Amino acid sequence: MNIVFLLQSFINGLSIGSVYAIFALGYTLVFSILGIINFAHGAVFTIGAYCTYALAVGDFGLNGLLAGMSLPFRLPFPLALLGGSLLAGGIGVLVERLAFRPLRAKGADPLLALVSSLGVALILVNCLQFLVGAEIYAFPSGIFGSLPMAMVFKMDGKVLAVRTVQIIILVVSLAMLLALAWFMNRTRMGKALQATAENPETASLLGINVDRYILSTFFISGALGGLSGTLIGASFGLAGPYFGVSYGLKGLAVIVLGGLGSIPGAVLGGLVIGLGEAFLPPDYSSMKEAVAFVMLFVILLARPQGLLGRQTIQKV
Amino acid sequence: MFLENYGFLIVAIVQQALLGMSLWYPLMAGQLSLASIGFYSLGGYIAAIMGTSPAFAAWREALGPALYPVEWLIALAASALLGLAVGIPALRLRGIYLALATIAFVQVLNVVVLVLDVTGGAVGLFGIPQPFESRLGYLWFFGPLLAVMLIFSARLTRTVAGRSFMAIREDELAAQAMGIPTTFEKVRAFVIGCGLAGVVGAMSAPFLNTWNARQSSFDASVACLAYVLIGGARSVWGPLLGAALLVALPEVLRPLKDARLIMNGIVLVVACIYLPQGIAGLLASLRRREAA
Amino acid sequence: MRPFIILLAGLFLANTALAEPVGSPIPVGIAVGQTTNVALFGEEQVNGAKVAEKLLNEKGGVGGTPIRLAFQDTGGDEAGAINAFQNLISRDKVVAIIGPTLSQQAFAANPIANQAKVPVVGPSNTAKGIAQIGEYVSRISAPMTLVAPNALKRALKLNPNVKNVAVVYAQDDAFNVSETGIFQEAIKGMGLNIATIQKTSVKDTDFTTQVTAILGAGVDMVVMSCLAADGGNMVKQLRQLGYEGLIVGGNGFNSPNMYPVCGQECTGVIVAQAYSPKADNAENKAFSAAFKDMFKKDPAQFSAQAYTSVKVVVDALNEVEKSSGKKIAEMDTAELRTALNAAIVSSSYDTPLGEIVLDADGEITQKTFYVSQIKVADDGKTGTMELLPE
Repeated sequence: MNIVFLLQSFINGLSIGSVYAIFALGYTLVFSILGIINFAHGAVFTIGAYCTYALAVGDFGLNGLLAGMSLPFRLPFPLALLGGSLLAGGIGVLVERLAFRPLRAKGADPLLALVSSLGVALILVNCLQFLVGAEIYAFPSGIFGSLPMAMVFKMDGKVLAVRTVQIIILVVSLAMLLALAWFMNRTRMGKALQATAENPETASLLGINVDRYILSTFFISGALGGLSGTLIGASFGLAGPYFGVSYGLKGLAVIVLGGLGSIPGAVLGGLVIGLGEAFLPPDYSSMKEAVAFVMLFVILLARPQGLLGRQTIQKV
Repeated sequence: MFLENYGFLIVAIVQQALLGMSLWYPLMAGQLSLASIGFYSLGGYIAAIMGTSPAFAAWREALGPALYPVEWLIALAASALLGLAVGIPALRLRGIYLALATIAFVQVLNVVVLVLDVTGGAVGLFGIPQPFESRLGYLWFFGPLLAVMLIFSARLTRTVAGRSFMAIREDELAAQAMGIPTTFEKVRAFVIGCGLAGVVGAMSAPFLNTWNARQSSFDASVACLAYVLIGGARSVWGPLLGAALLVALPEVLRPLKDARLIMNGIVLVVACIYLPQGIAGLLASLRRREAA
Repeated sequence: MRPFIILLAGLFLANTALAEPVGSPIPVGIAVGQTTNVALFGEEQVNGAKVAEKLLNEKGGVGGTPIRLAFQDTGGDEAGAINAFQNLISRDKVVAIIGPTLSQQAFAANPIANQAKVPVVGPSNTAKGIAQIGEYVSRISAPMTLVAPNALKRALKLNPNVKNVAVVYAQDDAFNVSETGIFQEAIKGMGLNIATIQKTSVKDTDFTTQVTAILGAGVDMVVMSCLAADGGNMVKQLRQLGYEGLIVGGNGFNSPNMYPVCGQECTGVIVAQAYSPKADNAENKAFSAAFKDMFKKDPAQFSAQAYTSVKVVVDALNEVEKSSGKKIAEMDTAELRTALNAAIVSSSYDTPLGEIVLDADGEITQKTFYVSQIKVADDGKTGTMELLPE
């Protein structure tokens, strides 16, 4: 343990934790409005990353239905990121239409909605594999233009190294959080969303078109998922159509840690888990995947409503 | 010829039906669990270790074929105990917490078995002794267990415990108001399922010849849940019907290659929307229509 | 209970005892993972097998009778592998099975084939104990005992001043754990100092902690035993964070998946290979030319190993036909499977991997290994592995 290691781990954890946060917000928004966990969120994360890749790089790989094809244009990374996120938002809307709306219309058991979202996730991931194959894609090094790859500092004989992509992740995620906070608290639509989340029936009595807001929620949630998928993909590559599954599960730990349905909770939970993983000594790195879930257990034992959750009052 | 080719598949349907059934009990009390696959993995490791580790050579010598039931009992005990440890903190709460805690349990278990030596790390354990010549022989393991569990489930729906489970499913607050110790009953329903999954795992390790961390993937968890919900969570026969459909389906759809997993997903979604009571519910309503 | 088991077993024996001729074309089973995430390797294996079917049939197949590959997808799990094997054995009535992709699947499905007395050739199973599953099980994928020291020697030729070495390995992958042991012994044997050992996981993507530890240790060579996805990512991060010394990778790096993962950053990485598309032998030249013709790219190790497996089966079939004096297509399937297995083991083969020998257990001894250096093309997505001179 030394100050450089601490600083290094802090930067690493903050960067990855901020992505966990915006990813988990996607779960939280849907949960707060429908009281249901959208298990297709991990698949939307994956598809968002692939969409951005397609827009920025344009070529598809050697396997799958789209093998050897390429798009006629290439977008610069920031635009591709935006485009990929919007497309992922569209997928989010599709998920709502396919998995949630038909069940809601019938007033079905919420458990069924959960399972049908798992079904949609299965469809999405396997369609993706069908189209682009199981191979690994990665954004080329020059994606951030002329920015240097990394910054390396030497401090009392130790090395402190920060990759540019880590900083980009942090900046984009923080900007996204601020934008979301502004949207939720300062715009009519955001306030209406909160009202719908609070109580859908009252909201619809007040003339709020609940269905439309549910759809917007899924769009925002999908876009957040796609954005976080792209950021992770830009840092570590797109390791096949299944690479979102583990992030999808980790996101669940984040929202429980922060408090189900709590927006600031999701942010705090993401950062805590990101930092927790980063401070794990390298010798135990094979345990890293367990960090988030051990934290989930601890919080269930110690403070089940989560770090920032409210004590829930059961609606009768 | 048919039995030779599909013997494994037939036994796999019964085996998966039992796993589905292990989720059926908590669902009876309205609790969604995704843990079965974790206890299945645990039971499998217990059987695989006892079947292959030199430390148990004396046991194998002394017990002979009686080793198998001993493995089942140990798996049952271990799974039930661990089930208590996972279930109590999660089931004090209402709502989705059990599902999330059980996902976490499976993830942690997967990391642990990968780094331990006794579980064989990433490769896992292999060369597990075989009690039967053919795969179909394993029907002697899983078949009687299924029969026993079907009878148990049918009886359960008529006992006080079973009725308490269903009261909690219909309205937890009302059940509590009626004096039902809801946390206790929910834990009880969950632990029955955990024990069953552990025993199925212990039976499955020799059935698959090998055991490794890949047995408890998230996909497998989802599959178990799908058996129950598609088969019908409110019928004793639900898990068996669901497993028969979903385990056979990929084999029937073999020529579709990649597309068969897409088909699986479509079946899940369509069944949720159009068969909310599952296949069992559909059959029941058909029968009612015929009677009318 | 016991009598029932015997009765059941008896029914099956009676069933399989019916004489059935093999027929023409001769069916050879391929059971690899064509779906789920194993498809990453399975797709390459299917390609290699398809080239083998075409090329070997053009050369006359088995004494003029062509072979026909029967593909059954194993998916990524053990049950899928067992189902695929059952289908190949009793429905497609294949003479031998090539597969499955993963060692874990092999431990599940191979005993089934062994019991049914159907020869299995493992194209990519490197775990300890595969060939020992039973007498009908062989494999052509070698553990890397010889190549590791070779790779280090070639690296030292590029920079003779290397003193301090960092060792990295994926601790949750059996192949890499055993490979790093060989590497570490070789490093010590060469009088070099292991300055730091860093453990990773094949599922890791973020290696900042490990990389900073390596940078802090001031090493001039990093020796890595990882798979392509995690290893490629780590090479990328090492280079991006300013590491300029040598990097030596184990056989896990011998995959075209390296190029898209780490792009330009992996140019110069030295790779220990069980197969190189540039290998200078007649079998490989014919194979890699035909492969390039069909798929417009160099064959990967998985493709070459799948090709080799088919070649082993076809060579052994030819051997059976020659020694028995009977046409394979007219022989009884069960009888042929046994004769074929006897011909597969205890023989040597000329393959794209060079000359290989299968011992009586079906365990492979590979004569030649390769050491190459990665060169990534300007597009950052494709590349080649250029053989390093002896």
